[in-house]
Amino acid sequence: MSHELSMPRTPRTNALRLIDHLGPQAQILAIALFFIACCLVFTFMTDVFATTGNVLNLLRQAAPNLIVAIAMTFVITTGGIDLSVGSIVALTNALAAILLQQGLPWPLTILAILLVGGLVGLIQGWFIAYQGIPAFIVTLAGLSILRGVALLMTQGFSIPIASGTGFTALGRGWFLGMPAPAILAILAALAGLITLSRTVYGRHIVAIGANSEAARRTGIPTRRLTASVYVMSGTAAALAGIVIAARLGSGSSNAAVGFELDVIAAVVLGGTALIGGRGTIVGTLLGALTIACIGNGLILIHISPFFTQIVTGAVILIAIWLNTRLFSKLGRRR
Amino acid sequence: MTPFVQARGIGKSFGGLKALDGVDLDIHQGEVLALLGDNGAGKSTFVKILAGAQPQSRGEIRIEGRPVAFASPHDAARAGIATIYQELALSENLNVVENVFLGREVVRRVLGFPWLRRRAMRQRVDTLLRELDAHIPDPLARVGGMSGGQRQAVAIARALDQGGRLVIMDEPTAALAVAETRKVLKLVRQLAARNCAVILISHNIGDVFEVADRMAVFRRGRKIAERQRAATTPDEIVALITGAHPDARTADLAA
Repeated sequence: MSHELSMPRTPRTNALRLIDHLGPQAQILAIALFFIACCLVFTFMTDVFATTGNVLNLLRQAAPNLIVAIAMTFVITTGGIDLSVGSIVALTNALAAILLQQGLPWPLTILAILLVGGLVGLIQGWFIAYQGIPAFIVTLAGLSILRGVALLMTQGFSIPIASGTGFTALGRGWFLGMPAPAILAILAALAGLITLSRTVYGRHIVAIGANSEAARRTGIPTRRLTASVYVMSGTAAALAGIVIAARLGSGSSNAAVGFELDVIAAVVLGGTALIGGRGTIVGTLLGALTIACIGNGLILIHISPFFTQIVTGAVILIAIWLNTRLFSKLGRRR
Repeated sequence: MTPFVQARGIGKSFGGLKALDGVDLDIHQGEVLALLGDNGAGKSTFVKILAGAQPQSRGEIRIEGRPVAFASPHDAARAGIATIYQELALSENLNVVENVFLGREVVRRVLGFPWLRRRAMRQRVDTLLRELDAHIPDPLARVGGMSGGQRQAVAIARALDQGGRLVIMDEPTAALAVAETRKVLKLVRQLAARNCAVILISHNIGDVFEVADRMAVFRRGRKIAERQRAATTPDEIVALITGAHPDARTADLAA
């Protein structure tokens, strides 16, 4: 590609170039293989796993995690973290049910909920980006506060949502032969993919994570962009809250406990670096699907659901371990 | 010909401390000017003022004869002053093209959104690197895997593409191996050959004598001497820096 350059390329630089291009791909390749392996194992162990019905069901269940994981990829790429997404899901989930019960039309409810999610993200983003408090601390506080607000609003009760409206269709409906949540997740993934790799915004997000001071000196509004990813994760969590409320037909402050960990696991499993500067949407997609597969498959082969957590945790550890081994080996040859 | 930059009576105080006092200096296009001096002599402060990173307390900066006031590094960049920082300027996880265009990406607006024009940026970087004769085989390789000299080349390409007419380099050869240092010094001459003005801060007298056309020695916040390379020797410059030279003593007494 660069044949017009004056210097002939030596074999060594060719090798370096290969490693440079292979490095990030290797991680995606690893998780892709892992995903395929999981699918194969479950396909052989049960007849139900590889049926259209189950796959679509799996997609529907994975959708909330996927939607938030896409946004979380941006957050983690900047070198941040958002621990509050589970609590935002609970808050918006409960709030949606309350607003609908109060008789607010469902399109307005959805709009209001998305705004609430974005606003929560904006407040957290402000503390992180403009006040310089570590994202871990701010969102840990958010995790506690927002769950508390949700509990207070519902008094701990589950609030029913009348079915048969456009709202519940978001969780249970079908569109083009796909469950509506799956469609939403696919749209979110496409938007994330394009934004991260093809837009100025995406490049700047990576630049902030890679070297925030260098990014600032080139005139990138680092603080505004840093705050923006939390608005994104807040809004995505609100969307997930809506989808969950619509699917279950109720709003509960106890929804999505531990959700943030599943989301972060999906992102990290996909190969996005926790220290920032490197993010991959395709990897996140595969990570989220792998986690969903494991949960779904273990239930189908009649293993105690308590095992799901153990296996998921072990898979994360092993996958990341393999990745870092593979990765550091490639890196050492530089 | 008016100098590209004229600094007149530049002073900078931090509280009661005078970091810089009454510095007059001209910087010409196509010329490499080296700033020399001990640590704390004021050369970095002077360069920060030129680069818009700090405002001066006293004095005036003129660019092509017109007085300017920089509120930020952005203002200075718009006036054609590009600074190459030692460590902080590049993002290791981005490739050469992304680094050169970081913060100033070439975009095409579709549906109101700015989309990256990756091929256009790539071609521009190819051209720049060829002109600089920089030995970077693959502009799509991450900067993290590159040598110090290659990184300097990327930073210089970036400065040039910004339309930099004065390029400030703070210790560009510090921490570089010998062969790498050679390459960077060659790049510095390339810049001057392109009619850029170059300010070079360096502690390495050998490097300075190799590339600089003119040298200015700072001591205790003042500019105490200015020499053409042809009219001085490394010994004299070292004596000026350390204060052993009669001119330096006179300046010390006056301060």
